[in-house]
Amino acid sequence: MLETVAQAVINGLLIGGIYALVSIGVTLIFGVVKIVNFAQGEFVMIGMYITFFLFSYFSIDPLLSLFISMPVLFVLGALIQHFLIRRVLGPNDMPQIFLTFALSLLLLNLSLLLFSANYRTVHTFYSDEAFHIGGLYISVAKLIAFVVAMVLSGALWVFLHTTDLGKAMRAASQKPDVAVLMGINPNRVFAVAFGMALALAGAAGSLLMPFYSAYPFVGQVFVLMAFVAVVLGTLGNVIGALVASLMMGVAESLGIQFVGADSGQIVVFAMLLFTLAFKPNGLGGGRVR
Amino acid sequence: MMQGSSLKIAGLVVLAIVLIALPQVVKSSFAIDIFIRILLFSFIGAAWNLMGGYAKQLSLGHAAYFGLGAYTSTIMQIDFGISPWIGMAAGGVVAAIASLPIGWLCFRLRGPYFTIATIATAQALMLIFLKFRDFAWGAEGTTIPNLGSSPLMMQFETKASYYYVVLGLLALALFITHKIEQSWMGYYLVAIGEDEDAAGAIGVNAPRIKRDIYMISAFLTALAGTFYTQYIYFIDPATAFSFNISIEAALVSIVGGIGTLWGPVVGTVLLETTSALLQSWLGSTTGGIQLTVYALILTAVILWRPTGLMGFANEVLQRRRERQQAPSRARTAP
Repeated sequence: MLETVAQAVINGLLIGGIYALVSIGVTLIFGVVKIVNFAQGEFVMIGMYITFFLFSYFSIDPLLSLFISMPVLFVLGALIQHFLIRRVLGPNDMPQIFLTFALSLLLLNLSLLLFSANYRTVHTFYSDEAFHIGGLYISVAKLIAFVVAMVLSGALWVFLHTTDLGKAMRAASQKPDVAVLMGINPNRVFAVAFGMALALAGAAGSLLMPFYSAYPFVGQVFVLMAFVAVVLGTLGNVIGALVASLMMGVAESLGIQFVGADSGQIVVFAMLLFTLAFKPNGLGGGRVR
Repeated sequence: MMQGSSLKIAGLVVLAIVLIALPQVVKSSFAIDIFIRILLFSFIGAAWNLMGGYAKQLSLGHAAYFGLGAYTSTIMQIDFGISPWIGMAAGGVVAAIASLPIGWLCFRLRGPYFTIATIATAQALMLIFLKFRDFAWGAEGTTIPNLGSSPLMMQFETKASYYYVVLGLLALALFITHKIEQSWMGYYLVAIGEDEDAAGAIGVNAPRIKRDIYMISAFLTALAGTFYTQYIYFIDPATAFSFNISIEAALVSIVGGIGTLWGPVVGTVLLETTSALLQSWLGSTTGGIQLTVYALILTAVILWRPTGLMGFANEVLQRRRERQQAPSRARTAP
């Protein structure tokens, strides 16, 4: 019994690392640019397809393709921010919500059109490997994904707290007007933040590929999880999103273990509804908006 | 002013005559099917627009009420033999009641997070209906028993009859919208949509108004669910709680112009006609093309005409009126 619980917790933590990359992206964009990116999951999907095609045409290992998917998505993100998102920033919610929503709809259906609904998988030499510690089973591919995800999250935190650009980003997120007065160019900061958030989504895509299938709707799985984690971890808070994502991963995994294989999603929704009912400002107790 | 309103009434009468005569003139069942889709989604859009358009509470979870309406009337019909006409009203009531706890949860958040919460509630309801196969047939769904021609059970031999039913629903929704637009509630809704905190500060009871409009919107959306199930003779959680219903409800209103009486209708005509044309050109097998085009239209509207087609039309009319007035003003100037 204890072993089953421990195994479920380990599985949950490992996948929670991937959720963290997606949620940190969502919370970074929300914190800095002040919009919710409904298309974040679709960028995970794009990262997965990039990784899949690099592997099947050039035999590039998914871990190496991190160095391609991340820069590609960074540039894509900066361009999207500069040419699309920038035009709808302002007090009005409607265009912001529905622009990123349209983007999500577009990317999802375009990939359905181009790549069909088939599941694509990548099989690497470490895909089926696992460590056995005691009675516990730890997949190598998932462990690598978790470690890289934690390293990337840590690197982002260090970037936000030590570099000038990172500090400018935090300043712009806390007091945009004052930041402009201090000589910070908000457009540049926003483009970098959006690009970094998408690069994290791309990294999540590459890291997932050795043990997860790519298909056009795959992003929906992750984005919903990320939204819940971001509310739970207090909007705009990077550490909060990280901790909440790991919790969500564990909760989902325990749900699958003890309630039934198809109840992972139900656990997620239940968590969202309980969060809204009892802690609408997140576990940290910050303010909504 | 008098002239303008009598012109409007004349226009409405002509439109009504055309719409009533349409299925008598056009006999192709393919065409009538498209008309029915246009009327149905105009109706759903109009229901969404009451809350999403006027009060700017941007829900993407209206499939919850569509599905509740569909399931209520179907369960009443199959298990108890009650006519879907009664089931339709009951479904509306169930949806309106369900909107209370759902609204209580979702209205705790604002803006985009309200939208996400509504998506989650609709998905959660779908999961519930998938899980509990004892009272709602689970994932396989069920077909509606075909009784041949039985108007009392909302089953008709000709598509034209379905057309008139949904035309009536749309007329009801537009009438309600018009009444609300002209009442105090309409002004409260717009005030909440503009700035909820400011509206609260000048004495608008925002939580109550939002709750009430959500109930009305949910009630109407549920009627569409019953109609649709009767029309296609089939129900399962994936169609009844389809995310596409939620998307289309919002989309037609935004493309047409949110917070306007005719916006959802104009938007639906554009989107559904485009989708029908695409299908006849490319065949129905090309998955994804319809929503790809919808997404492009939505992006274009948001970037260039955030007020939608109705806003665009009003701008053009305004400009023309100004141009007509400008020369006369020039002449009277000394």
